[in-house]
Amino acid sequence: MAVFVDLNICHTTDKKRLQNIIETAAHLGYSTVAVNHVVELQGKKQEIGKPKCVTELFDQFPIVQGKSKPIKVLNRLTVVASEASHFRPTNEFKSYDIIAVFPKTEKLFHAACMSFDVDIICIAVAEKQPFFFKRPPVNGAIDRGVFFEISYVAAIKDSTMRRYTISNALSLMETCKGKNVIVSSGAETALELRGPYDIANLGLLFGLSEGDAKAAVSANCRAVILHGETRKTALGIIHTMKKIQPTAERQEEEEGPVSKRAKTETGGV
Amino acid sequence: MVRYKTRYLLCELCVSDQSSLQLLDDRAVFTAVREAVSRAHGDYGAALCSLAFAVKYLNAHTGVVFLRCRKSHYKIFWSALPFITSLESRGQKVPCFFNCLHIGGTIRTCQKFLIRYNSQQLNRMLRYCHNEAERLEVRRAVLSCSLKSLEKEEEEEQYGDEDEEWGEVE
Repeated sequence: MAVFVDLNICHTTDKKRLQNIIETAAHLGYSTVAVNHVVELQGKKQEIGKPKCVTELFDQFPIVQGKSKPIKVLNRLTVVASEASHFRPTNEFKSYDIIAVFPKTEKLFHAACMSFDVDIICIAVAEKQPFFFKRPPVNGAIDRGVFFEISYVAAIKDSTMRRYTISNALSLMETCKGKNVIVSSGAETALELRGPYDIANLGLLFGLSEGDAKAAVSANCRAVILHGETRKTALGIIHTMKKIQPTAERQEEEEGPVSKRAKTETGGV
Repeated sequence: MVRYKTRYLLCELCVSDQSSLQLLDDRAVFTAVREAVSRAHGDYGAALCSLAFAVKYLNAHTGVVFLRCRKSHYKIFWSALPFITSLESRGQKVPCFFNCLHIGGTIRTCQKFLIRYNSQQLNRMLRYCHNEAERLEVRRAVLSCSLKSLEKEEEEEQYGDEDEEWGEVE
C-alpha cells in the first residue's frame, strides 16, 4: 500500500471543523495532509501571517487507516498573484512547509514555471483557463521539479465547474503528458474529501494514465514535500538546527527517508 | 460453462452523522448511482446502468454497500462515484460520500476483504475507548473474531475450497 497524501485542505478558523476534516482524511487512508492558507497579493508590501502551529490542533493525532502511525499535518501557503512584482519571497515564506502559486496571467505562469522558488503551481478549476499552456514553460517546470496541481473539490460541488476542471486538466495533460501532476482535494468540509483510490480512478477522467494517476496522489506528492524541505536547507545537502540542550550528545535526526538524508551530519549552530 | 464476468465494488458510505444511515435503502443507492453515472457519462452511462447494474447488499449499520456491474466498464461506474454528494430517501436528503474499499471479481473475495477490514476497524476503535468497560467489550470482540477466523481457516484446510465461484452465474 502506497503512502497517500492530500496537499490541500482549506484552513478554517473553525478548529472543530478542521479537526473533523483531518480525522476523516486519516480514516480514508491519507498519511499526510497539508493545511492550506490562501493569500491574495495586492500591493507590494503585504503581511503574510505566520501559520498556526499544527501541533496544537490535536492532543493525539488520529491513526491512519491500515497503518500504525499517526497522520502528519503540514502547513502550506498559496499565493494568488496577478502581477509578477507582487511575488517576493520573504522570511515569512520560510515558516511554511510547502509554497504554491496560483498565476492569473500567462506572463506570470511563465515566470512561475521558470524562476519562482515554489513547489506547486495551481491550475484554475472554477473558471476557464484564460491562457493556453505552452510547451517551453511546462517543460521548464518539469525540469525544475515543480508540480502542477488540480483540485477536485469544485468538480464535486457543481456541474459547470466540473466541465471547467476536466477541460483545464485535459489541456494541461496535452502539454505535460501526465508528468509532474498532483491531484488534491481543496476540501472545506469533511464530506468533500474522497478516498485515495477513488481519486486515482478519477484521474482517468483528467486524462492521466493509470500509473500517473496513482502517482498523482502518492509518489508525486512526496516529491513536493521533499522539494519543500530543500528550501529550508542549503541545496538539500546541509541542514542546520538549533540545539535545544547543549548537554544533549546526540542530535535528533530530521524526518525523512535515509536515501534523501545528507551524508555529513552537521552540528548545531 | 461461460459466464458473464462482473466486478463487485465494495464501498463504504461515509456520513457525518451515523444515525442517518438507518434511513437508507437499496433503492436510494441505486437511483443515486444511476443518476451520477448518467450525469457524468451521458446517455452512454445511462445505457450501461440498465445492463447488469445492481445493488447487491446494503448494511444500514456500518454503511457498507456492494455494487455489481460488468467487468468491461466498471471504471466508468467507479469514476462517477466520487460525484455523489447526497442520497435521497423517504423525502430526506442525506449528505454522504462513497469511499471505495475493494474491487473484486466475486462476492466471496469481497466478503473475505470485508471481514478483514472490519476486524481492523475494531483494533482502531480500541484507541478511542474512554472507559475500561468499553475497552473490555471491544477487546472481547477482537478476540472473538480472530478465534473465528482461525477456526474457519482450519475448516477450509479440511474441506478445501469447493465453491470458488460464488459470483452470480448467468
